[in-house]
Amino acid sequence: MQLDIPFIWTAFTEIIKALPLTLIIAIAPILIGLLIGIAVAFLRMNPIKILTPIANFYVSFYRGTPVIMHIMIIYFGVPILFESTFGISLNFVPIAVFVIIALALNAGAYLSEIIRSGILSVSKGQIDAAYSIGMTTSETLRRIVLPQAFASAIPNLTNIIIGFLHATSIAFLVSVKELTGAANIVASSNLKFLEAFIAVGIIYWGITIIIELFAQLIERKITAYSNTGVARN
Amino acid sequence: MGSSFEPSLIVESIPKLLSYLHITIEILALSVGLGLLLGILIAMPRLYHIPILKEIVTVYISFIRGTPILIQLFLVFYGLPVVVGLFGIDITRMDPFYFVIVTYTLSNAAAFSEIFRGAITSVDYGQTEAAYSIGLTPLQNFYRIVFPQAFRVAFPNIANASISSLKDTSLAFSIGVMDMMGRGETLISATMHAVEIYISLAIIYYVIVLIFERLFKWIERYLNRYLVKDELSL
Repeated sequence: MQLDIPFIWTAFTEIIKALPLTLIIAIAPILIGLLIGIAVAFLRMNPIKILTPIANFYVSFYRGTPVIMHIMIIYFGVPILFESTFGISLNFVPIAVFVIIALALNAGAYLSEIIRSGILSVSKGQIDAAYSIGMTTSETLRRIVLPQAFASAIPNLTNIIIGFLHATSIAFLVSVKELTGAANIVASSNLKFLEAFIAVGIIYWGITIIIELFAQLIERKITAYSNTGVARN
Repeated sequence: MGSSFEPSLIVESIPKLLSYLHITIEILALSVGLGLLLGILIAMPRLYHIPILKEIVTVYISFIRGTPILIQLFLVFYGLPVVVGLFGIDITRMDPFYFVIVTYTLSNAAAFSEIFRGAITSVDYGQTEAAYSIGLTPLQNFYRIVFPQAFRVAFPNIANASISSLKDTSLAFSIGVMDMMGRGETLISATMHAVEIYISLAIIYYVIVLIFERLFKWIERYLNRYLVKDELSL
């Protein structure tokens, strides 16, 4: 077998067309998951009977099982559920929607932990100080707690975003035509597997590096006023 | 897919899937073990500032961090025979199991090396100076003084990385390895019931992850047994 280097470029231009779909499958779950995550994080920090144990189990279960299970169970399970209870066939729903639902539930579990540790990282003194100058609870949250919590959560958030970008590759197993799916099509129609996967590898790598650069930029901006650590930057 | 939901199938398929658990554990144990050794090696160029090697290692780690494990699996599966073929060795008919071990080892090594690097830089340089002052060689200093202290710091992160590696092994079936997940796929085509099988797989993975978490907590406490209470709360 010989490596056909020019074909890597051909495959690259063909596969990159699937980038928008990949970005949608990666970003939509994170946005939905953020809402779930905030709700779950508050449930776990301010215990409510019955609901808090459910939230705890949800986070632990989703963090303890592979993403592929979440995708498969939603992809096969939701249509059966709808058909048996409402008698509605979900054949018209694009597969990508099931993947987004599965990843959003997964994102909620991971993000709730990040939000929780971000909020816990803000010292109690900050909240006391805010109250002492007469801020209301919502002002304290909006102006004092959340900005600092966000700043300390950025490295974790970056990892999550990169993780979800990579998790979208699993969607190809339920035949969604995102980057990996497109690579597989290019590979099998030209019988050049290695070249196609090198091309798609470069695409993923490139996006990851861009995300990391963005995160560094935002982190520098947001922590410009911070007064912690061992060195002045 | 199949007609309706059959909860009894969830229970029935668990023992059938568990009989393939040892393959999943073998993949995990081999790739974590080899990954630890390779990870320490890969951390060296950046710790000792070895030119050229340092740059190569940085690119390697960035690549592994930048691509999904599924793509890495395919790259090794299709790429390794080409690379080895340059030396005139034909491995195209090799058991996919070995490709999986190579991929997960390479992937784990990159993650572990970053963890080790962070942990080793967390050990005070005074320790190394003290070791040299009583006449230890650099090698002795590394494995008797610095490494044991660094390992304690690195352990929780290594534990987390190993657990996520366990979850990643669920993708090995995509290049044809008959592990728990691969057995699940054959059960699905035999029974035409997908959801039930995936639920039993999820239950098995969840229980194993819980067991590993408990085990790692226990080891962590053992590694920290010399620490005073005060330091522990850090």
